[in-house]
Amino acid sequence: MSAGAIVWWVLAACLALWSAISALRPDTPGPVAIPRWFARSWLGRVLALCAWGGAGWHLFCQRP
Amino acid sequence: MSRSLGVAALAAAGFAWWEGGLRQSSLAAHSGILVAIGLAFAVTFVAGRGRQQVRSLAWASGPWALRRHWAEDPPGTLGATLWAILTLAVIGWDLNSFAHESRDLPTLSRIFGHLTSSHVGRAAAVAAWLALGATIALGWRRDR
Repeated sequence: MSAGAIVWWVLAACLALWSAISALRPDTPGPVAIPRWFARSWLGRVLALCAWGGAGWHLFCQRP
Repeated sequence: MSRSLGVAALAAAGFAWWEGGLRQSSLAAHSGILVAIGLAFAVTFVAGRGRQQVRSLAWASGPWALRRHWAEDPPGTLGATLWAILTLAVIGWDLNSFAHESRDLPTLSRIFGHLTSSHVGRAAAVAAWLALGATIALGWRRDR
């Protein structure tokens, strides 16, 4: 396994661990809190939609 | 309402399966994704008029009052900070891998390319992408 792949695995493990911990703790923002925070205002919602659209175009129409 | 939601979910699943069978370079794949993006923006503006919780300026300036947030809600502030650090770490490592263009440093989109190389994998990814887009477009609106 390459060094870069190991870093990705570590990042994925950290994200999964923190998602689980924050989802179980009511006083900590869980993974759903991120899109919910962006959706609070027009600016945040449009920024999130632009990122979503850009990601979709890149992943499904360009060569990933 | 639940019936129209069911029809929309069924249409989205059909679209995801159709899109999953297309090649990335095909005109049909490009058109389908562009239509989905356009539809998401249209739905956002039609369904969202007058239903946002906070004004944009207040939203944009909100996170910077760190001291007040920390005084009011220490666990929440710490949790949000950890999310920001993890997100920046993913973006930073992806940019680093992209800049070096080495086989030993795969980018996130290269990893994603392996996952979406099959019809089922690509269709599942499109379905997840559509669900996220629908959530961003329609979710957490204030009642009229």
